Amino acid sequence: MQRLYGVWGGMMRKNKLDKSKLLALGDRFRIYILFGVIFIFMSLFAPRFFNSYNLTTILRTVSMNATIALGFTIVMICGEMDLSIGRTATFAAVIALTLQKKFGYGISVPIAVLAGAGVGLLNGILVAKIKINSFIVTIGTMTILQGATYTITGGNSVSLSGDKVFAISDFLAKPLLPMLPPRVLLTILFVVVFHLFVSNSQWGRNFYMVGGNRTTAWLAGINTDRITITAFILSSTMAAVAGILFAMESSAATLNMGDNSLMYVVSATIIGGTAMSGGKGGILRSVVAVLSLEMLYTGTILFGFGNEVKIFISGLILALVVLYEAYASYKHEKTIGQRAVLLEELAQAKEKI
Amino acid sequence: MNGIQKVDTRALQTNRFSKLLSSIGIYAIAALFIVLGVVLQSMGIINNFLTTQNMMNIVDAVALLGIVAVGMAFITYSGHYADLSAPTTIALTGIVSVELLRFGFIPAIMGAVVVGLIIGIINGIVIGKFKANPIIWTLAMSYVSMGVIRFVWVNKQIYPDVITDDPFPVMLFDNIYRFRFFNAISLPLIIMLVLVVVGQFILKRTAFGAQLKLTGSAKRTAKFSGINVELMIALAFIISAFTTTIAGLAITSLSRVGAYYNGAGYDFRAVTAIVIGGMTLAGGRGSIIGVLGGTLVIGLMNNIMTLLGVGTFSQDIIRGAIFILVVGINAKTLRSMGRDDA
Repeated sequence: MQRLYGVWGGMMRKNKLDKSKLLALGDRFRIYILFGVIFIFMSLFAPRFFNSYNLTTILRTVSMNATIALGFTIVMICGEMDLSIGRTATFAAVIALTLQKKFGYGISVPIAVLAGAGVGLLNGILVAKIKINSFIVTIGTMTILQGATYTITGGNSVSLSGDKVFAISDFLAKPLLPMLPPRVLLTILFVVVFHLFVSNSQWGRNFYMVGGNRTTAWLAGINTDRITITAFILSSTMAAVAGILFAMESSAATLNMGDNSLMYVVSATIIGGTAMSGGKGGILRSVVAVLSLEMLYTGTILFGFGNEVKIFISGLILALVVLYEAYASYKHEKTIGQRAVLLEELAQAKEKI
Repeated sequence: MNGIQKVDTRALQTNRFSKLLSSIGIYAIAALFIVLGVVLQSMGIINNFLTTQNMMNIVDAVALLGIVAVGMAFITYSGHYADLSAPTTIALTGIVSVELLRFGFIPAIMGAVVVGLIIGIINGIVIGKFKANPIIWTLAMSYVSMGVIRFVWVNKQIYPDVITDDPFPVMLFDNIYRFRFFNAISLPLIIMLVLVVVGQFILKRTAFGAQLKLTGSAKRTAKFSGINVELMIALAFIISAFTTTIAGLAITSLSRVGAYYNGAGYDFRAVTAIVIGGMTLAGGRGSIIGVLGGTLVIGLMNNIMTLLGVGTFSQDIIRGAIFILVVGINAKTLRSMGRDDA
């Protein structure tokens, strides 16, 4: 009898395990499922969605935020926050275009990228060495960058003209392969490099370790300060690169071009499963999430709603995402140490033995 | 006995700089700024610093910022940094009050207060109960309010005298900012002074203030000693939203237009004033009197920079740099004194 019970119990446990495995699998592929659902829905119902012109437009629009999301995801994995990404993109774009008039892109672009990296270095040192909360630091740099951008341009947007400049714009925008202009190809290259870097290298693993538990990482011999600073430099540099490429493609930079990116990238990264507490997430998922959001927003426009609706929806999505994450961790915290959870853990431990 | 002797002696030291920054010392800095203004004027670099009109300008600007800062100080005091939804709360309450002016003056005010309190209660529940990160949540909230404004009013600006033909409520609304007792003391100034006195009393002399202090400095300890931590945090956000609503009414009355861009920049300026005023972002330290001093310094600094011909945007750079510098020095000194592990 007891034996029978044991077998029965084992089967029960096995079933339960399967279910939880399935749930974990679903959680892991949540963002890809979401992507598929949105894509299929929009293709079926949104007018003029599923054609190569529109899809190319989506890929081109998404390039900027996808590039920003690469570095930002690393900062989030480290358990920090970089609110200055949007303004860094604008700042770098404005520098690149303003200096182009004097020196040409060959010199102005590297300077602008370096300026972006400098912003990241400043953020990183203030967070890692002076140990100020990263939210606070990046609010400060955000304000400074806005002031700097307006001071450089005198409050006007920058635009370039000339055959050379337009030739570069055309080259970046015209599809090289079917549906893939060079700018999108460049973005794909960045995504691949960052994905391999974060998921397959020692440095990449260190980001997760620092985000998961800083003290443990430090005890394990990781230079946590250096990892944090690197994360911020990567974030700002990629934001700068994104801004510069966007400005080069359109040969113009407006002073609020990066303002929406913050809301966009933060929501996408959290939807992609990168936790704000750190130690969790992935590059590819953030990029897929950015793509899903862009399809959603393009869809709302195609359905005939105005820009106000898009602003309203994107704000609502960010709020819902933040609320969802807060609620999930609230529930998790509530059940920690409770009898049911402990019993389940005990059962799993017994199974292993 | 040994245990007592082992207390880190660094914890008992006082640091001159952090003392200077905290509470009363900030008024010395404000006085220095006035001296600087007078010196610059006597050297002929700036004009019109020491005139009645300019002094009134400074006081009026300080009054508006002070109303926001006093409320937001409760959030900082509770260890939750800041309320980034302040600018859009100002815009939203302003535009709602102008819209409701067609039903009279009292409904307009009531409508604005209700909207402000709703924002405060949502912030309070999400951050207090569900422990969402205050910065990212209030940022999200600001996007949502901005979305509501854009959605309902579709990029329109609305003017009080266009909304209603009745001149009486419009006149009352205009006078929220423009009414002056004895032709000098404006209504926002009086509101701010009342808020400062009440705020200082609440923070330092009531049980709520003491509980908020413990919540801000040691949340876990506060929770285990039976304080309703969630309620304390929620109340801080509601107080902040309430004073921001008052500022929203005054600012909208000043500009005579309800629009989505009203109040831009007030979040960061308020946090800077709070931090300069000696309230540390770690929570539980500082006073409302100090915040008033910080606001005064910000007002004087802005005024002198404007008179010097520094552009509005370059002022942003300086303000941001000062903010980071003060926060950094605060964090560093507190840590070196062993009073903060943050």
